Amino acid sequence: MGAVLITVSTDTQFVHLAWRRHEKSLENVQYLMGADPSGKVSRLFGVYVEDAGLALRGTFLINPEGRLLNSEVSFFNMGRNIDELMRKFKANLYLAKKPAEACPAQWKDEGDKTLTPGPKMVGKVHEALAK
Amino acid sequence: MTSSDSNPLQLGSTVPNFELSVYDPVKNDFGTISLDEIKSQGKWTILFFYPADFTFV
Repeated sequence: MGAVLITVSTDTQFVHLAWRRHEKSLENVQYLMGADPSGKVSRLFGVYVEDAGLALRGTFLINPEGRLLNSEVSFFNMGRNIDELMRKFKANLYLAKKPAEACPAQWKDEGDKTLTPGPKMVGKVHEALAK
Repeated sequence: MTSSDSNPLQLGSTVPNFELSVYDPVKNDFGTISLDEIKSQGKWTILFFYPADFTFV
């Protein structure tokens, strides 16, 4: 889909290999498993918890030009919704092609209604979405 | 060493290049990946941080 997915934890790449081989639910994993034992990259993104030596559950979306366009961080015990990640990625992909538009709250996938912000829409978003 | 919170990355800013050692399950091999490398392929980068392997959630 034009993206490189990298999972990152402070485990070394050796632990990633062992985990991938051992855990049945990771059987179909094809993404790169990144190792950040020094916490350097985790610190760069503000998700490193010094006392624990672990990274928080952070997801970051970076465009091909290197710009950070989306971030979501959750505490250790709450998992992230992958559908939501896909929605955010698709929305950002679409908006990269259509910079004058905006994806409203209900937008889920390509083909859903978007808004084209401008002076005419001020105070009339309801009508724009109902059309 | 300065606090990790002193220069958090802001949304909309350009991410400086970084490099990670990786395990690639498709090649079944170790390697490295850098942001510059992914950018040169014209691709998006999705970073998915999590606390630890062999844990739950």
